[in-house]
Amino acid sequence: MKKSQVSMEPLLRAVNLTKRFGGLVAVENVSFDVRPGEVIGLVGDNGAGKSTFIKMISGVYQPDDGEIYFDGKKVSFIDPRDARDLGIETIYQDLALAENLDVGSNIFLGREMKKRFISEKLSRIIISSAFALPLAALLAWLGLQFYKIPGLVLGLLFGLASGFVLGWLFGSVTQIVDRKTMMGESTKALKRLDIEIPSLTQQVRNLSGGQRQSVAIARSIYWNAKVMIMDEPTAALGVSEQRKVLSLVRTLADHGVPVIIISHNMQDVFAVADRIVILRRGRKVGEEVSAETTPDKIVSLMVGAETVHKMGVIPQALESNGGVAGA
Amino acid sequence: MTEMELSTTKAAKKTRAERLSTIRQIWPWFFLVLMVIVFAIISKTKNNVTFISYRSVQGILVYATQILLIGLAETIIIISGNGGVDLSVHYTLGIAAVISAFIMRAMYAANLPPALTIAAGFSGGILFTIIPGWVNGTLVAKVKVPPFISTLGMGYVMYGVALLISRGQAISDQPNYLGQIGNGNLLYYWPKHGFSWLKIPAAATQADLQHIIPLVPNVVAITLVVTILIWFILAKTQFGQHIYAIGGNIQASIRSGIPVASTLTRAYTLAAVLAGIAGVIWTSRFTSGASNAGEPTLLFAIAAVVIGGTSMFGGEGRVIGTVIGALIIATIQYGLVVLGQQPYWQYVTVGVVVIIAVIVDQLGRKMEHS
Ligand SMILES: Nc1ncnc2c1ncn2[C@@H]1O[C@H](COP(=O)(O)OP(=O)(O)O)[C@@H](O)[C@H]1O
Ligand SMILES: [Mg+2]
Repeated sequence: MKKSQVSMEPLLRAVNLTKRFGGLVAVENVSFDVRPGEVIGLVGDNGAGKSTFIKMISGVYQPDDGEIYFDGKKVSFIDPRDARDLGIETIYQDLALAENLDVGSNIFLGREMKKRFISEKLSRIIISSAFALPLAALLAWLGLQFYKIPGLVLGLLFGLASGFVLGWLFGSVTQIVDRKTMMGESTKALKRLDIEIPSLTQQVRNLSGGQRQSVAIARSIYWNAKVMIMDEPTAALGVSEQRKVLSLVRTLADHGVPVIIISHNMQDVFAVADRIVILRRGRKVGEEVSAETTPDKIVSLMVGAETVHKMGVIPQALESNGGVAGA
Repeated sequence: MTEMELSTTKAAKKTRAERLSTIRQIWPWFFLVLMVIVFAIISKTKNNVTFISYRSVQGILVYATQILLIGLAETIIIISGNGGVDLSVHYTLGIAAVISAFIMRAMYAANLPPALTIAAGFSGGILFTIIPGWVNGTLVAKVKVPPFISTLGMGYVMYGVALLISRGQAISDQPNYLGQIGNGNLLYYWPKHGFSWLKIPAAATQADLQHIIPLVPNVVAITLVVTILIWFILAKTQFGQHIYAIGGNIQASIRSGIPVASTLTRAYTLAAVLAGIAGVIWTSRFTSGASNAGEPTLLFAIAAVVIGGTSMFGGEGRVIGTVIGALIIATIQYGLVVLGQQPYWQYVTVGVVVIIAVIVDQLGRKMEHS
């Protein structure tokens, strides 16, 4: 299932990224490469800096130090939209779905397909003039009756101005959402990723957590995600749903889209990741090829080998997260 | 999964959710029918009046126009969510009525042509409402003032300005052709003589008048056109889709690139313009303009929206629901008049219907999520 064809040119390179919050160094000099088609597991104890790190490469935070290269070019993001424009998509915990809308509407949220018989601009111009010309004529005439020439000029101006405001208000009534095509495209997008959702016309709030996750992922892929970042995508899901999301992660990689996945769960990480990057107290303490390592080794890197030896046991926090179950 | 299995699970999944939402959407219709039957029985047995008649239908529709227009404004704002409710629309209605009456009185006094007087009065009243609407929208969308605060403030400002313009009195001395618009009909039918557009046939004598059947009151026709336009905007256009999305999840809307601020500003402006239309309709029906013209309408309109199944939490609601809500309230008002009951009963009755609506809504939601 694993080991897709990983090419050598990195798509995304983080070089010596550092982020400080006041006196606290949340991430310190962390570097790694992401190549097309690979899944990277990003692991570490609570507070290790995983979320802060991915927020820097998705444009939420600006690094205090270090560089990001995308497709060989140095980039810097002012906000998440910059990163998204390049194709770096983040699946947020709250998924950014409108639960009151159906699946198709969510995949096309903010980028609705429209029945195109007239462009928005042209429609605005036509509707504005349809309001502005008669109003200007009427008010100019009226102004002339009461206040002579100044009245005419004022009336003309008021008429034109209010016509254009009405154009702003009603100019887009010609922009009709093409639900049928959106639904068809959504069906195709979901099918490509082997996602099964019983009815695309029902509100997203009626879907299960895993299905919602899938809709969010399908949306990113439809809009040409080149790198997918997921922060604890399985945390809130049941076991069978977790499995589905993980297999979806593999599907993405097989389509050539690299995935950076943060997880607490060793089983998850070993199930999907090609490589595992381990953070500890803001620093990268290891990078392992998952086929050539063991959960034990990862856990000892996560908590610091000396800690394990000193205590002789694996801390409880990890145990409860399935850290040992994988061992 | 085979095609067959897929389609059966689809059907099964849909029926449950759909059945529940169907109940929520359909009960007001049953309620309306039930109410008409009750009124018909009481008026027949008690007052020996036939309630179910063409005249009643027309009367109810005319009563419903104001509640419906203001209700449509609230529907848009409440769907846009995030605490959205517009507490200024009734005063916006009032100022539109005052301004249009003010313009028409001046033009009538100056002996200007009727058509232009009407055109200037109506467009003046309606266009003015763009100002409070735009300010409301900007306060909510850009300054992020909670909607009920900003619209409450804007409402009082409008009320005050309307009082100043009208010096605290109704602006009458209106041209009589204004009343013909507000109380006239699109079409008149004179049996054996045929139809006549807009005017009672000139040949008809005083004695003929009782045989002439007025069809489609002008104000009902205007309201119908406006209602269809708003339905179209909400249900079909991208602007409407964005209003629902913002009401459902404003964060998701921002992240996915919806122009949230401009959409909200336009929504509040559209709501105000609807109130403006209701205002000039009021002026033409009562041939005067008063600052408090819309006062009783606000809460009835919100009640109509709630009865119609629009969620006060935003993101959900339909124009047809508000239409039925407005019809129910208008039927109550009209029915009480026909029965010769004290009109104060309308508040009691509407209150009870609103409570029923909320209970049905809550039960439906609970069942859906269980
Ligand atoms: N916005 C912030 N302001 C201040 N401190 C922060 C902020 N975000 C994270 N931190 C701190 O940075 C460290 C790393 O946090 P985080 O990246 O969330 O860790 P992880 O996701 O690995 O659990 C923690 O000590 C956390 O308290
Ligand atoms: Mg985290």
